[in-house]
Amino acid sequence: MPKLTFIEKDGNRKEVDAPVGLSVMEIAHKYDVDIEGACEGSLACATCHVIVAPDWYGKLGEPSEDEEDMLDLAFGLKPTSRLGCQIVMTEELDGLVVELPREVNNMLG
Amino acid sequence: MAQDADNKARPDGVQQDGANRRAPGIYLDNQATTPTDPRVVEAMLPFFTERFGNPHSAGHAFGWDAEEAVEKGRGQLAALIGATGREVILTSGATESNNLAIKGAARFHRQRRPHVVTLATEHKCVLESARALEREGHRVDILPVQPDGLVDLDLLAATVSEETAVVSIMAVNNEIGVIQPLAEISAICHDKGAYFHCDGAQALGKIPLDVAALGIDLMSISGHKFYGPKGIGALYVRRRPRVRLEPLIDGGGQERGLRSGTLPTPLCVGLGAAAEIAAAEMAVETARISALKTRLLEGITERLSGVALNGHAELRVAGNLNLAFEGVDAEALMRALPRLAVSSGSACTSTAVEPSYVLQALGLEEARARGSIRSAIGRFNSEAEIDQAVEALAGAVARLREEGSAAAQ
Repeated sequence: MPKLTFIEKDGNRKEVDAPVGLSVMEIAHKYDVDIEGACEGSLACATCHVIVAPDWYGKLGEPSEDEEDMLDLAFGLKPTSRLGCQIVMTEELDGLVVELPREVNNMLG
Repeated sequence: MAQDADNKARPDGVQQDGANRRAPGIYLDNQATTPTDPRVVEAMLPFFTERFGNPHSAGHAFGWDAEEAVEKGRGQLAALIGATGREVILTSGATESNNLAIKGAARFHRQRRPHVVTLATEHKCVLESARALEREGHRVDILPVQPDGLVDLDLLAATVSEETAVVSIMAVNNEIGVIQPLAEISAICHDKGAYFHCDGAQALGKIPLDVAALGIDLMSISGHKFYGPKGIGALYVRRRPRVRLEPLIDGGGQERGLRSGTLPTPLCVGLGAAAEIAAAEMAVETARISALKTRLLEGITERLSGVALNGHAELRVAGNLNLAFEGVDAEALMRALPRLAVSSGSACTSTAVEPSYVLQALGLEEARARGSIRSAIGRFNSEAEIDQAVEALAGAVARLREEGSAAAQ
């Protein structure tokens, strides 16, 4: 099974098994990683914002316009920011590293 | 008190008979600012009084009405540049837009792209933004231009790299009116993944500017340079692929979070109305202004020798004429012509005795830079005014040259 590494807010690296077909947000929830996902992956918020390791960013597909619109609302946006709900694990993404931003902006309250 | 003093006839004969009256004279300084078109003022007026709502008030009809008006204006401006309304961020003017584009792009991408490129002939607010970034630790290259004022594309290509966040080059120069090769510049930027920011303040409404066709990622716009009101401008920010900026102003998150603050509804309406007029009338207006420019140039060169044009002779906007008068000091010439509104350098630097840094960047010798005058013809100039300007300029230059040679003897 592919591996996925979260860099948590305190800098801790957490490597987990990442089932193909699940999103980074779903995998985070499965392992109790502190990602919100207030809209549960329906592209209506930016609370599952993650910063993809620069080496990995180019290996993901282009974000959709809807995802970019939601990223516009994210705090602490970086050039390699993505929404965790939009990154779906594949065998090719084995070893993926994502970092949790220090703050999130939950517009859904 | 001061008002009374102003109302007295001045010794130079210029009557200033009250606020809001245009001082008599001929206005050939349309690159400093343009009068607001009366049709634009007409469109704006209701939004000062009856339709005064806050466009961000989502809870009542006053707000909705204002929001609708703002969005209409935004759409009119977007249509003029081939963009969508959602790509237009409304600002206070081109200075703010240039600051937001250059600092915003450079700061957002500072880690992997710490490099910024611009030209020596850019507006002060572009150069000062670049220098501010340099103080923050960014690497900045301010490139020289060719003697005709155009960018050296080979030098640009050799300078832009994978580390460049943004390249800022204006469409039309504010002093010499030259038009830069925008499509070629954007190709060089995109080849290295850098953003192309274009200061379009002097170009909008004068030449067609299609951001998609030209590959522009960020473009600054000023209302009062094309017969709209002062105090409003815009920044075009490409959405696909998304251009990201770090905002300069924190607050309520208006304008896609890039520019917080309540929008000035009347000014937004005015900006849109000016854009719609420009879109409809640009071609006819350019032909008319071009003919006036030829009349001015030919009138002057028929009467005077020792006159040279600064900047590229063909690749320039219709209304601009930057002329060097041999043996004449531009400041003295302007003092001799109180009824003719022209400029000897960009307005922002005209209090300094330094000759124009733009003209110096062309490599002109100092005497020629000091003897240069910018005339900028606009929508409301007439043939009669041009003829009067020719007579006044030719007469004053001839007198000053005589005085100069008499003093030398």
